[in-house]
Amino acid sequence: MNFKAILAILLCKLLRLLSRLLHRGGTAMPGRYALKLCPDLLARLSKNVRSVVITGTNGKTSSSRIVEQAFVEQGRSYFANRSGANLLSGITTEFVMNCTLGGKMKKEWAVIECDEAAAVKVFPQLQPQVVVVTNLFRDQLDRFGEVTHTLSNIRTAIEAVPQAALCLNADCSLCSSLALSLPNRVVYFGMEKGAVPSRAKPELSDATHCIRCKTEYEYDYISYGHLGGFRCPKCGYARHAADYAVTDVIEQRSSGTTAAFSICGERRVVEINLPALYNVYNAVGALAAAMESGVGADEAVRALASFQCGFGRMEAFRLGKADVRMMLVKNPAGCNQVIDYLENLHNRFVLAICLNDRGADGTDISWIWDAEFERLNSIAGRIEKVIVSGDRAQDMRVRLKYAGIPDENITVERDYEKLVSSLEPLQTDVCLMPTYTAMLELRSVMIRHCGGAEFWE
Amino acid sequence: MELKICHLYPDVLNLYGDSGNIRCLQKRLLWRGMGAEVTKMPLGTRTSLAGYDIVFIGGGQDFEQQVLLEDLHRGRDSEIRAAALDGVVFLTICGGYQMMGHYYETFDGQRCDFIGALDLYTVGAKKRMIGNYKFRCTDSAGGSVVVGFENHSGRTVLGSALEPLGKVLTGFGNNGEDGTEGAHWKNVFGTYSHGPMLPKNPQFCDMLLLTALERKYGRAELAPLDDAAELAAHDEMCARL
Ligand SMILES: [Zn+2]
Repeated sequence: MNFKAILAILLCKLLRLLSRLLHRGGTAMPGRYALKLCPDLLARLSKNVRSVVITGTNGKTSSSRIVEQAFVEQGRSYFANRSGANLLSGITTEFVMNCTLGGKMKKEWAVIECDEAAAVKVFPQLQPQVVVVTNLFRDQLDRFGEVTHTLSNIRTAIEAVPQAALCLNADCSLCSSLALSLPNRVVYFGMEKGAVPSRAKPELSDATHCIRCKTEYEYDYISYGHLGGFRCPKCGYARHAADYAVTDVIEQRSSGTTAAFSICGERRVVEINLPALYNVYNAVGALAAAMESGVGADEAVRALASFQCGFGRMEAFRLGKADVRMMLVKNPAGCNQVIDYLENLHNRFVLAICLNDRGADGTDISWIWDAEFERLNSIAGRIEKVIVSGDRAQDMRVRLKYAGIPDENITVERDYEKLVSSLEPLQTDVCLMPTYTAMLELRSVMIRHCGGAEFWE
Repeated sequence: MELKICHLYPDVLNLYGDSGNIRCLQKRLLWRGMGAEVTKMPLGTRTSLAGYDIVFIGGGQDFEQQVLLEDLHRGRDSEIRAAALDGVVFLTICGGYQMMGHYYETFDGQRCDFIGALDLYTVGAKKRMIGNYKFRCTDSAGGSVVVGFENHSGRTVLGSALEPLGKVLTGFGNNGEDGTEGAHWKNVFGTYSHGPMLPKNPQFCDMLLLTALERKYGRAELAPLDDAAELAAHDEMCARL
């Protein structure tokens, strides 16, 4: 380490200490200043650490938690950027917090969640051993532009790490197209035909036409969104067989899923500690990543049953008498999956949707019109009450009105304190659907009411 | 009374919650006891536009633009021009709005020929114009204040005889320079406002419906609806901007 790097490390550690004393998160800011002093700080620190990096539109955080748990089961020494600070600055902060003042890393492995747009800056410095691309959906168009831009960003990022093993979603025609032009070793994960009943072709697909020749894809089956057994009738680009495959989703419960996996040819029945189909994808992708990094199959499978996600991803709270699940929503594909989950619930529930439009949420909220809230009509009898909240509560109210929920059944409650207090005496289940910044605020109110840890702890 | 609504290219021009506009047109007719038949016409459909009262064209991704242009130039372009001349109500948004003009020239000078139904052209710029914005419609377009979200790098310039849809109050509009937003010719309305536009701007939506109904039936009236939710969303964004 040269003098500048040592100074940057010192500054970063001090700033972090200071922000903790002031009860701020301090997840990204210290790294930002440290990088100003020493722009290649992450490259210097990551030299002696092996890493698994997870990027893609949906499921980054949950997948990272599973990989982390697999490392725990394997007994590895590791650290992770657990607070969701997934840009270069936040990742650098995390590395500095895990090194000595002299810049020597204290852990052998890192599990890193990386923002899709930040990958271009992060990958070349980080030089990961394994890269997972979970999926690609339309997301935050105001920030990312169209989904093919995100794809080419990720491709550029991976070009800088030709030695990394890629774990790609075989069912996502966008993700798996990365293998067409990159020299990296690739393993695929995905869902086989018949694992779940095939869906009808979605009204809105994020990838209708072949990424190579622009001919419309044909599908053998669709698991959700544009994910499934795609095939281009013209150029032959098609779903690649999955090395890590979900062969059967045996039982979906409100608390988790039982599924059969084929792991490099060997059949295993696995328990997944979170409900909903998209978490089955996260599970199989994270399992692939863990095993490609050298974790044993037994340890990886155990991790699926024992990981804890928290942080608003299907996070469970006990609030007074109410059982609360907090389910982050940020784009149509993910939101539709949460609506799937609601459709499968047996109990009556109160639904609260908190819509913000700040930078981290995406300032364009028009995606709420692409999410299939109309499907709530079929379960209207089980919805006790609908509450809308957040900066754009009124827009959410209009969306639900046009989805067929009578306006008189919708309550607008902007104050999270009042919102949470009103839930406390309820004897029903509660489903909270916040966008990212709404989740942070709502969660800290929830935690105050339930007793628990802040996100950076 | 009944209106036939055509959603043109919903498979490729669907980027910004456009289906919300279709739902809004449809619901506001149904709530008044009128009929609303929506037909989707994806790429490759050869059905004629004849008999439709409202045609909606939304915004799209660059990726599919080539396939879209091929489809347009197989006769759909002249059909759209004829329908526009005939007084059919068109609502065209963002990419769909640009497509109604003569051409789009990218930042590095590549030109893409469109259909020329409206006398306007669009030039790509480096900096995107993004954000919530509002504009006041001209009197001939109902005079209401519309709030929406714009996200475009193209700068659109109107021909000298073409009326804008309105005057920008906050935001960029057509090009961020001349204060105009959108275009209005006969019953063709073009705008950069998605969001989607209609649910939050019920007055504008009703203006479109009334125009289409009057064209079809000579005389028409729209019974008032309870727009408390719509107006709350509208007014809140108006106040923020
Ligand atoms: Zn092809």
